Amino acid sequence: MNAWTVILAAGLGSFLFRLSMIVLFGRITMPAYLERAPELVAPAAFAAMAATGVATICLGLGIGRAAAPLVAVSVAIIAVLRTGSPQAAILAGMPALWIATALLPS
Amino acid sequence: MISLRANRRDVAVGARAMVPWLAGIVPFGLVIGVSAAHADIPALAGWLTGPLIYAGSAQLATIGMLNAGAAPMAVVAVALIINVRLIFYSATMARYWRGTPWWWRLVAGYLLVDPSVAVGLEGYRQLGRDRGHAHYLGGAVLLWVCWLTAIGVGAAAGGGLPASLHLEFVIPLYLAGQAISKLADPALRRAIFVAAAVALLALTAPLQLGIALAIAAGVAAGLTVRPAGPTRSSRPLQPATEIPR
Repeated sequence: MNAWTVILAAGLGSFLFRLSMIVLFGRITMPAYLERAPELVAPAAFAAMAATGVATICLGLGIGRAAAPLVAVSVAIIAVLRTGSPQAAILAGMPALWIATALLPS
Repeated sequence: MISLRANRRDVAVGARAMVPWLAGIVPFGLVIGVSAAHADIPALAGWLTGPLIYAGSAQLATIGMLNAGAAPMAVVAVALIINVRLIFYSATMARYWRGTPWWWRLVAGYLLVDPSVAVGLEGYRQLGRDRGHAHYLGGAVLLWVCWLTAIGVGAAAGGGLPASLHLEFVIPLYLAGQAISKLADPALRRAIFVAAAVALLALTAPLQLGIALAIAAGVAAGLTVRPAGPTRSSRPLQPATEIPR
Protein backbone atom coordinates (compact mmCIF):
# COMPACT_ATOMS: atom_id res chain seq x y z
CA MET A 1 0.00 0.00 0.00
CA ASN A 2 1.46 3.36 -0.98
CA ALA A 3 0.29 6.88 -0.12
CA TRP A 4 -2.21 6.91 -2.98
CA THR A 5 -3.98 3.71 -1.93
CA VAL A 6 -3.95 4.74 1.74
CA ILE A 7 -5.67 8.03 0.90
CA LEU A 8 -8.10 6.24 -1.44
CA ALA A 9 -8.97 3.65 1.23
CA ALA A 10 -9.46 6.30 3.92
CA GLY A 11 -11.61 8.31 1.50
CA LEU A 12 -13.72 5.31 0.51
CA GLY A 13 -14.23 4.33 4.15
CA SER A 14 -15.21 7.90 5.05
CA PHE A 15 -17.72 7.99 2.17
CA LEU A 16 -19.26 4.71 3.34
CA PHE A 17 -19.57 6.16 6.87
CA ARG A 18 -21.40 9.16 5.37
CA LEU A 19 -23.81 6.95 3.44
CA SER A 20 -24.26 4.31 6.15
CA MET A 21 -27.25 5.59 8.10
CA ILE A 22 -28.79 7.31 5.08
CA VAL A 23 -29.04 3.87 3.50
CA LEU A 24 -29.85 1.95 6.70
CA PHE A 25 -32.24 4.51 8.18
CA GLY A 26 -34.70 2.87 10.58
CA ARG A 27 -32.98 -0.52 10.53
CA ILE A 28 -30.20 0.24 13.04
CA THR A 29 -30.23 2.27 16.27
CA MET A 30 -27.12 3.48 18.07
CA PRO A 31 -26.48 2.55 21.73
CA ALA A 32 -27.10 5.68 23.83
CA TYR A 33 -23.69 5.68 25.50
CA LEU A 34 -21.96 5.69 22.12
CA GLU A 35 -23.68 8.95 21.15
CA ARG A 36 -21.06 10.80 23.22
CA ALA A 37 -18.09 9.04 21.65
CA PRO A 38 -17.84 11.02 18.37
CA GLU A 39 -17.28 14.38 20.06
CA LEU A 40 -14.50 12.86 22.16
CA VAL A 41 -12.63 11.37 19.20
CA ALA A 42 -11.34 14.56 17.57
CA PRO A 43 -10.02 16.24 20.78
CA ALA A 44 -8.39 12.96 21.84
CA ALA A 45 -6.84 12.59 18.39
CA PHE A 46 -5.65 16.22 18.41
CA ALA A 47 -4.06 15.78 21.84
CA ALA A 48 -2.38 12.49 20.88
CA MET A 49 -1.01 13.86 17.61
CA ALA A 50 0.11 17.13 19.20
CA ALA A 51 1.97 15.34 22.00
CA THR A 52 3.56 12.92 19.53
CA GLY A 53 4.48 15.72 17.13
CA VAL A 54 6.11 17.95 19.74
CA ALA A 55 7.95 15.03 21.35
CA THR A 56 9.21 13.76 17.99
CA ILE A 57 10.49 17.20 16.99
CA CYS A 58 12.21 17.72 20.37
CA LEU A 59 13.81 14.28 20.33
CA GLY A 60 14.97 14.88 16.75
CA LEU A 61 16.62 18.14 17.71
CA GLY A 62 18.36 16.73 20.77
CA ILE A 63 18.41 18.01 24.35
CA GLY A 64 20.46 21.12 23.60
CA ARG A 65 18.16 22.48 20.88
CA ALA A 66 14.79 21.29 22.22
CA ALA A 67 14.34 24.41 24.36
CA ALA A 68 13.00 26.56 21.50
CA PRO A 69 10.07 24.29 20.55
CA LEU A 70 9.25 23.75 24.23
CA VAL A 71 9.17 27.53 24.78
CA ALA A 72 6.94 27.88 21.71
CA VAL A 73 4.51 25.22 22.95
CA SER A 74 4.39 26.84 26.38
CA VAL A 75 3.64 30.25 24.87
CA ALA A 76 0.98 28.68 22.62
CA ILE A 77 -0.73 26.96 25.56
CA ILE A 78 -0.79 30.17 27.60
CA ALA A 79 -2.14 32.11 24.61
CA VAL A 80 -4.99 29.65 24.06
CA LEU A 81 -5.85 29.51 27.76
CA ARG A 82 -5.93 33.31 27.98
CA THR A 83 -7.84 33.99 24.75
CA GLY A 84 -9.94 30.83 24.43
CA SER A 85 -9.13 30.84 20.72
CA PRO A 86 -7.41 27.77 19.21
CA GLN A 87 -5.91 29.97 16.46
CA ALA A 88 -3.88 31.77 19.15
CA ALA A 89 -1.65 28.69 19.36
CA ILE A 90 -0.18 29.37 15.91
CA LEU A 91 -0.37 33.16 16.12
CA ALA A 92 1.62 33.21 19.38
CA GLY A 93 3.54 29.93 19.11
CA MET A 94 5.24 30.40 15.74
CA PRO A 95 6.72 33.87 16.51
CA ALA A 96 7.81 32.50 19.90
CA LEU A 97 9.56 29.63 18.11
CA TRP A 98 11.39 31.98 15.74
CA ILE A 99 12.47 34.29 18.56
CA ALA A 100 13.53 31.43 20.84
CA THR A 101 15.45 29.75 18.02
CA ALA A 102 17.34 33.00 17.38
CA LEU A 103 18.02 33.83 21.03
CA LEU A 104 18.56 30.54 22.81
CA PRO A 105 21.97 28.87 22.57
CA SER A 106 21.97 25.69 20.47
CA MET B 1 -39.02 16.57 -4.55
CA ILE B 2 -35.58 18.03 -5.35
CA SER B 3 -35.96 21.27 -7.29
CA LEU B 4 -32.94 23.50 -6.99
CA ARG B 5 -33.93 25.74 -9.89
CA ALA B 6 -37.21 26.68 -8.20
CA ASN B 7 -35.36 27.34 -4.92
CA ARG B 8 -32.41 29.43 -6.08
CA ARG B 9 -33.02 31.92 -3.31
CA ASP B 10 -32.76 29.12 -0.70
CA VAL B 11 -29.48 27.97 -2.27
CA ALA B 12 -28.13 31.51 -1.83
CA VAL B 13 -29.42 31.71 1.76
CA GLY B 14 -27.70 28.41 2.56
CA ALA B 15 -24.44 29.69 1.08
CA ARG B 16 -24.70 32.89 3.12
CA ALA B 17 -25.32 30.86 6.29
CA MET B 18 -22.04 29.05 5.65
CA VAL B 19 -19.95 32.25 5.43
CA PRO B 20 -19.32 32.65 9.22
CA TRP B 21 -17.94 29.11 9.33
CA LEU B 22 -15.40 29.93 6.63
CA ALA B 23 -13.47 32.23 9.00
CA GLY B 24 -12.36 29.18 10.99
CA ILE B 25 -12.26 26.72 8.11
CA VAL B 26 -10.11 28.52 5.55
CA PRO B 27 -7.06 28.89 7.88
CA PHE B 28 -7.34 25.20 8.72
CA GLY B 29 -7.37 24.34 5.02
CA LEU B 30 -4.27 26.50 4.52
CA VAL B 31 -2.51 24.64 7.37
CA ILE B 32 -3.33 21.29 5.78
CA GLY B 33 -2.09 22.53 2.41
CA VAL B 34 1.19 23.74 3.91
CA SER B 35 1.67 20.47 5.80
CA ALA B 36 0.95 18.48 2.63
CA ALA B 37 3.56 20.50 0.75
CA HIS B 38 6.20 19.75 3.40
CA ALA B 39 5.28 16.07 3.88
CA ASP B 40 7.16 13.24 2.26
CA ILE B 41 4.28 12.33 -0.06
CA PRO B 42 3.40 13.50 -3.60
CA ALA B 43 1.88 16.99 -3.51
CA LEU B 44 -1.15 15.85 -5.51
CA ALA B 45 -1.76 12.98 -3.08
CA GLY B 46 -1.75 15.46 -0.20
CA TRP B 47 -4.25 17.71 -1.97
CA LEU B 48 -6.43 14.71 -2.87
CA THR B 49 -7.07 14.10 0.84
CA GLY B 50 -9.41 17.10 0.43
CA PRO B 51 -11.90 15.73 -2.11
CA LEU B 52 -11.45 12.08 -1.06
CA ILE B 53 -11.45 12.15 2.76
CA TYR B 54 -13.04 15.62 3.09
CA ALA B 55 -12.67 15.92 6.86
CA GLY B 56 -9.86 18.10 8.20
CA SER B 57 -8.59 16.21 11.21
CA ALA B 58 -8.61 12.87 9.38
CA GLN B 59 -6.75 14.53 6.50
CA LEU B 60 -4.19 15.97 8.89
CA ALA B 61 -3.71 12.61 10.60
CA THR B 62 -3.33 10.86 7.25
CA ILE B 63 -0.73 13.33 5.98
CA GLY B 64 1.16 13.41 9.29
CA MET B 65 1.26 9.63 9.73
CA LEU B 66 2.24 8.98 6.10
CA ASN B 67 5.03 11.54 6.54
CA ALA B 68 6.16 9.75 9.74
CA GLY B 69 6.31 6.41 7.94
CA ALA B 70 3.42 4.77 9.76
CA ALA B 71 2.05 1.43 8.58
CA PRO B 72 -0.59 1.95 5.86
CA MET B 73 -3.28 0.04 7.75
CA ALA B 74 -2.59 2.09 10.88
CA VAL B 75 -3.05 5.30 8.88
CA VAL B 76 -6.35 4.12 7.41
CA ALA B 77 -7.52 2.90 10.83
CA VAL B 78 -6.75 6.22 12.55
CA ALA B 79 -8.42 8.23 9.76
CA LEU B 80 -11.55 6.09 10.02
CA ILE B 81 -11.59 6.20 13.83
CA ILE B 82 -11.51 10.00 13.65
CA ASN B 83 -14.31 9.95 11.08
CA VAL B 84 -16.64 7.63 13.01
CA ARG B 85 -18.69 10.72 13.88
CA LEU B 86 -19.78 10.85 10.23
CA ILE B 87 -22.01 7.85 10.95
CA PHE B 88 -23.87 9.94 13.52
CA TYR B 89 -24.17 12.85 11.10
CA SER B 90 -25.50 10.40 8.53
CA ALA B 91 -28.13 9.24 11.03
CA THR B 92 -29.03 12.88 11.81
CA MET B 93 -29.68 13.79 8.17
CA ALA B 94 -31.24 10.47 7.12
CA ARG B 95 -34.70 11.47 8.36
CA TYR B 96 -34.73 14.44 5.97
CA TRP B 97 -33.45 12.49 3.00
CA ARG B 98 -35.73 9.48 3.23
CA GLY B 99 -37.49 8.93 -0.10
CA THR B 100 -35.16 11.25 -2.05
CA PRO B 101 -33.55 10.03 -5.31
CA TRP B 102 -30.32 8.03 -5.06
CA TRP B 103 -28.32 10.70 -6.87
CA TRP B 104 -29.30 13.19 -4.18
CA ARG B 105 -28.37 10.89 -1.32
CA LEU B 106 -24.98 10.18 -2.91
CA VAL B 107 -24.20 13.88 -3.50
CA ALA B 108 -25.63 15.19 -0.24
CA GLY B 109 -24.04 12.33 1.71
CA TYR B 110 -20.63 13.00 0.18
CA LEU B 111 -20.85 16.63 1.36
CA LEU B 112 -21.65 15.66 4.98
CA VAL B 113 -19.21 17.22 7.46
CA ASP B 114 -19.56 19.24 10.67
CA PRO B 115 -20.42 22.69 9.20
CA SER B 116 -22.68 21.37 6.42
CA VAL B 117 -24.69 19.40 8.99
CA ALA B 118 -25.07 22.45 11.23
CA VAL B 119 -26.11 24.78 8.39
CA GLY B 120 -28.26 22.09 6.78
CA LEU B 121 -30.17 21.30 9.97
CA GLU B 122 -30.93 24.98 10.47
CA GLY B 123 -32.31 25.13 6.93
CA TYR B 124 -34.56 22.11 7.41
CA ARG B 125 -35.87 23.56 10.68
CA GLN B 126 -36.61 26.99 9.22
CA LEU B 127 -37.70 26.15 5.67
CA GLY B 128 -39.06 22.62 5.82
CA ARG B 129 -37.92 19.55 3.98
CA ASP B 130 -38.17 20.49 0.28
CA ARG B 131 -36.69 23.99 0.50
CA GLY B 132 -34.21 22.70 3.09
CA HIS B 133 -32.55 20.56 0.41
CA ALA B 134 -31.64 23.69 -1.57
CA HIS B 135 -30.45 25.43 1.60
CA TYR B 136 -28.25 22.45 2.52
CA LEU B 137 -26.73 22.24 -0.95
CA GLY B 138 -25.98 25.98 -1.10
CA GLY B 139 -24.01 25.87 2.15
CA ALA B 140 -22.35 22.50 1.54
CA VAL B 141 -21.13 23.31 -1.99
CA LEU B 142 -19.68 26.68 -0.90
CA LEU B 143 -17.86 24.92 1.95
CA TRP B 144 -16.50 22.25 -0.41
CA VAL B 145 -15.20 24.81 -2.92
CA CYS B 146 -13.57 26.98 -0.23
CA TRP B 147 -12.04 23.97 1.52
CA LEU B 148 -10.37 22.58 -1.59
CA THR B 149 -9.25 26.05 -2.67
CA ALA B 150 -7.67 26.74 0.74
CA ILE B 151 -5.77 23.43 0.68
CA GLY B 152 -4.57 24.15 -2.86
CA VAL B 153 -3.40 27.67 -1.95
CA GLY B 154 -1.66 26.35 1.18
CA ALA B 155 0.07 23.60 -0.79
CA ALA B 156 1.19 26.01 -3.54
CA ALA B 157 2.46 28.67 -1.12
CA GLY B 158 3.87 26.27 1.47
CA GLY B 159 6.22 24.53 -0.94
CA GLY B 160 8.11 27.74 -1.65
CA LEU B 161 8.62 28.86 1.93
CA PRO B 162 12.11 28.57 3.51
CA ALA B 163 12.94 25.76 5.96
CA SER B 164 14.11 28.32 8.53
CA LEU B 165 10.45 29.14 9.21
CA HIS B 166 10.09 25.68 10.80
CA LEU B 167 6.64 25.19 9.30
CA GLU B 168 6.74 21.54 10.42
CA PHE B 169 5.80 22.98 13.81
CA VAL B 170 2.52 24.47 12.54
CA ILE B 171 0.61 21.19 12.80
CA PRO B 172 1.56 20.31 16.41
CA LEU B 173 0.78 23.88 17.46
CA TYR B 174 -2.55 23.86 15.65
CA LEU B 175 -3.50 20.51 17.17
CA ALA B 176 -2.43 21.62 20.64
CA GLY B 177 -4.51 24.77 20.27
CA GLN B 178 -7.57 22.80 19.25
CA ALA B 179 -7.17 20.40 22.19
CA ILE B 180 -6.42 23.03 24.84
CA SER B 181 -9.38 25.20 23.81
CA LYS B 182 -11.68 22.32 24.81
CA LEU B 183 -10.35 21.78 28.34
CA ALA B 184 -13.36 23.45 29.99
CA ASP B 185 -15.53 20.38 29.37
CA PRO B 186 -14.79 17.68 32.01
CA ALA B 187 -15.23 14.73 29.64
CA LEU B 188 -13.13 16.34 26.92
CA ARG B 189 -10.51 17.36 29.48
CA ARG B 190 -10.11 13.79 30.67
CA ALA B 191 -10.03 12.47 27.10
CA ILE B 192 -7.38 15.04 26.12
CA PHE B 193 -5.06 14.44 29.09
CA VAL B 194 -5.30 10.66 28.87
CA ALA B 195 -4.76 10.68 25.10
CA ALA B 196 -1.70 12.95 25.39
CA ALA B 197 -0.23 10.89 28.23
CA VAL B 198 -0.73 7.57 26.44
CA ALA B 199 0.69 9.04 23.23
CA LEU B 200 3.88 10.06 25.06
CA LEU B 201 4.16 6.70 26.84
CA ALA B 202 3.66 4.89 23.54
CA LEU B 203 6.00 7.15 21.59
CA THR B 204 8.30 4.26 20.71
CA ALA B 205 5.47 1.97 19.61
CA PRO B 206 6.10 0.66 16.09
CA LEU B 207 4.36 2.09 13.02
CA GLN B 208 2.85 5.03 14.93
CA LEU B 209 0.35 2.65 16.53
CA GLY B 210 0.69 4.65 19.74
CA ILE B 211 -1.58 7.36 18.28
CA ALA B 212 -4.41 4.89 17.64
CA LEU B 213 -3.93 3.47 21.13
CA ALA B 214 -3.93 6.97 22.64
CA ILE B 215 -7.15 7.96 20.85
CA ALA B 216 -8.90 4.80 22.04
CA ALA B 217 -7.68 5.34 25.62
CA GLY B 218 -8.72 9.00 25.55
CA VAL B 219 -12.21 8.27 24.27
CA ALA B 220 -12.67 5.47 26.80
CA ALA B 221 -11.55 7.81 29.60
CA GLY B 222 -13.88 10.57 28.39
CA LEU B 223 -16.84 8.19 28.36
CA THR B 224 -16.34 7.53 32.07
CA VAL B 225 -17.34 11.14 32.86
CA ARG B 226 -21.08 11.51 33.42
CA PRO B 227 -22.53 14.44 31.46
CA ALA B 228 -23.97 17.16 33.71
CA GLY B 229 -27.42 18.45 32.74
CA PRO B 230 -28.48 18.17 29.10
CA THR B 231 -26.29 15.91 26.98
CA ARG B 232 -23.67 17.74 25.00
CA SER B 233 -24.74 15.92 21.85
CA SER B 234 -27.96 17.96 21.87
CA ARG B 235 -25.98 21.21 21.76
CA PRO B 236 -26.00 22.74 18.26
CA LEU B 237 -22.70 23.22 16.47
CA GLN B 238 -21.44 26.80 16.47
CA PRO B 239 -19.60 28.56 13.67
CA ALA B 240 -16.00 29.76 13.77
CA THR B 241 -14.94 27.71 16.78
CA GLU B 242 -15.60 24.41 15.01
CA ILE B 243 -13.87 23.09 11.94
CA PRO B 244 -14.55 20.44 9.30
CA ARG B 245 -12.78 17.90 11.42
